[in-house]
Amino acid sequence: MENRRLRARRLFRPNDYLVIFVFVVIALLLILFLSPIFWMLSTAFKDKGEYFTYPPVYLPKKLDFSHFFNGLKLGGAKGIHDTLIVAASTTALSMIIGSLAAYSLGRFRIGGKHLAFWILSIRMMPPVASVLPLFLFYRFLKILDTYEALIITYTIFNLPFAVWMLKGFFEELPKSLEEAALVDGCGRLGAFYKIALPLIAPGLVATALFCFMFSWNEFFFALILCRSKITPVTVVIAGMIGGHEILWAEISAVAAMASIPIIALAIFLQRYLVRGLTLGAVKG
Amino acid sequence: MEKNRRARFSLSIEKRIPVLFVSPCVAVLLAVSIFPFLYSLWLSFNKWELGMGQRSPTFAWLNNYAHLFTDNRFWDSIENMAEVLIFGVGAQFLIGLGLALLLNRPFRGRRWVTTLFLLPMMICPVVVGCNWKMIYNYSYGPLNHILRIIGIGEGLNWLGSTHLALPSIIIADSWEWMPFMMIVLLAGLQSIPVELYEAAKVDGASGWQEFWYITLPSLKTIIIIAILIRMMDTFKLFDLVVLLTQGGPAGASETISYYNYLTGFKFFNMGYAASLAYIQLAVIIVIATFFLRSLRKGEGG
Amino acid sequence: MKMAAIKMFIGLVLVGCLILGGGSSFGQEVVTLTVIGDAGHNLKPFEWYAPIFKEEFGVELKVIGVPFGELYEKEKIEFVAQTGAFDICIVYPKFIGDFAGAGYLLNLDEYASKLGPRMPDVVPGYRDFYCKFGGKLYALPYDGDVLSLYYRKDLFENAEEKAAFKKEFGYELKAPATWDEYLDVAKFFNHKPGEKLAGKTLKTPFYGTAFYGQRDQIYAWWGNRFASMGGIYFNEETMKPAINSKAGVDALENMKAALPYCPPDVLAYGYEELKDIFLNGDAAMVIQWPCVGKKGADPKQSKIVGKIGLAPVPGIMKEGKVYSRALMPCGRVLAIPADSKHPWKAYQVIQWLAVVSSTADVSTPLTGLDPYRFSHFETPEAFEMFPTIEDAKVYLAGIKANMSSGYPEPPIPGSVEYIDALAVNITKALTGEKSSKQALDDAAKEWENITARFDVEKQRKLYQKLIAGWRAAGLWE
Repeated sequence: MENRRLRARRLFRPNDYLVIFVFVVIALLLILFLSPIFWMLSTAFKDKGEYFTYPPVYLPKKLDFSHFFNGLKLGGAKGIHDTLIVAASTTALSMIIGSLAAYSLGRFRIGGKHLAFWILSIRMMPPVASVLPLFLFYRFLKILDTYEALIITYTIFNLPFAVWMLKGFFEELPKSLEEAALVDGCGRLGAFYKIALPLIAPGLVATALFCFMFSWNEFFFALILCRSKITPVTVVIAGMIGGHEILWAEISAVAAMASIPIIALAIFLQRYLVRGLTLGAVKG
Repeated sequence: MEKNRRARFSLSIEKRIPVLFVSPCVAVLLAVSIFPFLYSLWLSFNKWELGMGQRSPTFAWLNNYAHLFTDNRFWDSIENMAEVLIFGVGAQFLIGLGLALLLNRPFRGRRWVTTLFLLPMMICPVVVGCNWKMIYNYSYGPLNHILRIIGIGEGLNWLGSTHLALPSIIIADSWEWMPFMMIVLLAGLQSIPVELYEAAKVDGASGWQEFWYITLPSLKTIIIIAILIRMMDTFKLFDLVVLLTQGGPAGASETISYYNYLTGFKFFNMGYAASLAYIQLAVIIVIATFFLRSLRKGEGG
Repeated sequence: MKMAAIKMFIGLVLVGCLILGGGSSFGQEVVTLTVIGDAGHNLKPFEWYAPIFKEEFGVELKVIGVPFGELYEKEKIEFVAQTGAFDICIVYPKFIGDFAGAGYLLNLDEYASKLGPRMPDVVPGYRDFYCKFGGKLYALPYDGDVLSLYYRKDLFENAEEKAAFKKEFGYELKAPATWDEYLDVAKFFNHKPGEKLAGKTLKTPFYGTAFYGQRDQIYAWWGNRFASMGGIYFNEETMKPAINSKAGVDALENMKAALPYCPPDVLAYGYEELKDIFLNGDAAMVIQWPCVGKKGADPKQSKIVGKIGLAPVPGIMKEGKVYSRALMPCGRVLAIPADSKHPWKAYQVIQWLAVVSSTADVSTPLTGLDPYRFSHFETPEAFEMFPTIEDAKVYLAGIKANMSSGYPEPPIPGSVEYIDALAVNITKALTGEKSSKQALDDAAKEWENITARFDVEKQRKLYQKLIAGWRAAGLWE
C-alpha cells in the first residue's frame, strides 16, 4: 500500500498548480516552435501571388496539392530516394563502428585522451577546406557522383560524432553491471553487446537519429561531389531557388515530404528513447 | 590441451578487445581524412589563385597567415561568430534543458509532444532559410504582421538593419537546433538511475536539491559534449547566412564560415581559404580543449 | 494571335531545318552530350527540342541542373580538376573573363564561320560585352538581362497627382529622365499609411522606390548611376581602379538620398522581394529585370496588370540630351568547355538555341529567358503574356532602348571578388558606417589589392583588349 502510494507520488506530484504550469509552458513553447512549421506547410499549398502579400496569407485559398506533385516531378522523388540510401547507409556504418570505438574509448581509455581528441578533431574540419581535396581524391578513385562518395564523406563526419556521444553515455554507466556479467563468464564482447548497449539505448537512439539527420540535411558536399547520377534532396531543393524564380511552394512541399522519413524514424525510435523508470533496474 | 589453447586464444583476444573495437574507426578515419587534412594544410602555405587561372600553387611561406592578421573582414567575422556561439548555443541549451526537464516525467501524449518539438531540426536547412526569409520580410512577413496586430509598433527591420541581421540568424538557428539539445539532454536524463532519486527521497531532499546535486552532476558529461558538438557545428553555420542575409547588410552578419566559403568558392583564393580553415580549426581546438578539460576535472567525483 | 505565334514557330523550325539540311544526320551515331546550367525553367528548351537534336545532329542530351547561386563554383571546380564532364555549359557572362581567360572555354570563331550564329542581329551591348573575350567569340547568347525602369503608369497619369507634383517641383510628372528627377519622383510618391494616393487612403505604406539590396547584385543599381555619370571601372593605362571617381561618389550619394523613400529592409532585398513590392502595388517605380514586365501582365502574380510603364533607366543631362546607361547584371550565355569531346555537335546545339528557337524561348512564359536580338524586339506577337500587342510593343521598345545603352558587369578575371568588395563598401556607405567617399576609396584600395594578387600586367592587358573590342563596336568612349 505504502509503496504504491509513494510511486504514485513520484509519477504525478499532486501539486495542481505545478501540473497546470507545466502544461501551459509546454503548450506555449509548442505554439512558438511550431508556428514557422505551420507557415511552411501553408506555403506548400499557396499559389503564385500568395507568397509575399499583405496581409500575409495564413490559410491559402485552396488546398492545392499540385505543388507536391510538381516538386516530386522536378527531382524530389529521386532526391528523397537517393538521400534515403545515403543516410541509412552512413548511419548504420557510423553506429556500428562508432559504438565499438566509443566503448573502447570510454571503458578502456585506449589511446588516452589523444586518440579520442584526434577522432573529434576530424569533425572540426571546416568543409570548405576539405571539399576540394576530397573531390580530387574521389576523382582519382573514380567514385565521383556515386553513393559511395557521399557515404564515405558523411561517415567521416558522423563517426566522430557517434563516438563522442556514445562515449559520454558509456562513461556514465556504472561499471558494476558489466563486472557482474564478466564474472558470470560473459566475455567482453558479450558484456558490450548484452549489457552496455541496451543500457544506453536512449543514447543510441538519439545518436542514430542525429547521424541520419545530419546526412539527410547536408548540402555542401552533396552539391560538389555529385552531378546527375545521384541527386540528394537538399541539392534538388536548392535548385528550386532560381535566380529569377523561387518555387516557394514546391520547396516547402518537397521539404515536408522529405521530412516524413525522419519523422517516422523519430516516432519509431521514441519508444527506446523514453524508457520510463524501469531503466535503472535491469539486472544481469 | 585443446581447452587450454582455446582458453589462451580467447584470453589473448580478450586482451586485445579494446584495440580491436577501436581499429575499424581509426582505420576508416585515417584512410579518408588524412589526404584532405594534409592537402589543405599544405595549401595554406601556398598561393593558388584559381581566379586568375594560376595552374599550380606557388609556395608562399606564412604569407597567408600574416595576411589574416591585417584582414579586418576576418576579425569582424570572428566577432560575429562569437556572438552566434554565445547567444545561439546558449539559448538552445537553456530552452533545450528546460524542455527536457519538463518532458522527463511521463504524461499522456508525451511521445507526440516530443516528436513535435523535434520537427524544426528535421527540416532541410535550405528550406529553413527560405522559410525564415519569408517570415522576416518587413512588409509581407507574418512575424511583423503579428507584431503589428499585437500593437508592438510598425514591425522590426529584421534582415535589413545592421543591428538585427545577426540576431535574426541567431533566432532562426536556435529555433532549428534547440531540439538537438532537448533530445540529447532528455536521453541523458532518462539514463540517470532511479536509485539515486529514491535515495535522495529517503534523505528528504527537495526538488531543487535533487536537481542541483543529482540531475546536473549526472548530466555533466552529456551537457558538455552536447554544447561542444553544437559549437563545432555552429562554426560551420552557412545555409542560413547564405539564404537570409548573404552576410549583409554591410557584413553585419558575415560569419567566419561564410567568409571562408566566399574566399574559397567564389574568389577561389585557395591558399588563403585553406589558411582561414586552419585558423578556424585552431580556434575550435582551443575551445574544445577548454571544454574537455572542465569535463575531466569533474571525473572521479 | 496564338495562330500567328504557332505559324511563326513552325516557320522558324522549317527555316532552321533548311539551314541545317546540309548537316542532316542520316546514319549518324548518337552521341550523348552533357549540359550543365542553373536548375529550373531555363533548362526547359533543352528538353523541348531533344527530339530535334537527336534527329538533326545525332545528339542526346543529359541535362544537369545546379542551384542558381552555386553554378559558378560547380563549373569552376570541374574545370580546374579537368574532369571533362561537360560539353555545353550555361555561363553567367560576368565569368567569361574568368573562364575564357584561364583557357577553360573553346574559342568558337572557327565554328561560327561554318555555321553563323547571326551575331549582327544581337544587340551590340550584349554581343560585344558578353559573348566575346579579347575580341574572340567564346559564347553564344541565351538570356538577355538588362535593367529597366518600371513605373506605375496609372499613378503618373492621374490628374490629381500630376497637379500636385507640378505644384511641388515645378515640372511635369513623367518617368524620370535624370537621377535628380528620380529622387524627386521617389520623394513625391513616398507615403505613410493614412495618407492619400490617387484619391484613395492608404492602409499600408507606399514607397517611392526600391532596389536590390543583397550583396550579390547591389552594385548594379549603383552601377546604373555610375555608368551614366561617366564612370569606368579601371583606368585602362594604369589599371588603377576608377570607381572612387567623382562619378562613383555622386552615384553613391544619389543612392543614399533615395533610401528614405525605400522599404526599411531594402538592404536585404533580393529578386523576389523587389518584384513583389512593385507588383503588389506598393511602390511607384523600381529598376529591375525584363522578366518582371512579363510577370506583371499575369493577374495571378501581379495586382497592377495594365498599369506598368517601362522607361529607360535615368541618366544625366549631357549637352542638352539625356545620357543613360543600363547595367546588364546576370544574363546567360552558352559556352563549350575546351576539353569537350564533341565540340562541333555541341556547337550545333547551342547555335540552334541561340538562333533558331531563340524567339520562341524568350517570349514564352515557361522560361525566364529574355530577349536580346533585334529580331526578338520586332516580333511583339510572340509575347503572348501581354494583354494586347500594344503592351508587348511598349515593353519591347523599352527593353531594346535599355539594352542598346547597356553597360557591362566587370567581365575580367576575379569579377566576383571585385564585385563583393565593392558591394560591401557600398552597403557600408548606405548604412552610414562610412562616408561615400571613404567607402569608395576603401573599395578602390581593395580592388588594387585584388589586381596586385592577380598580376597587374596580365589584368591590364586583358582589360585593354576588352576595351579595344568595345571601342571598335562603338560601345565605349
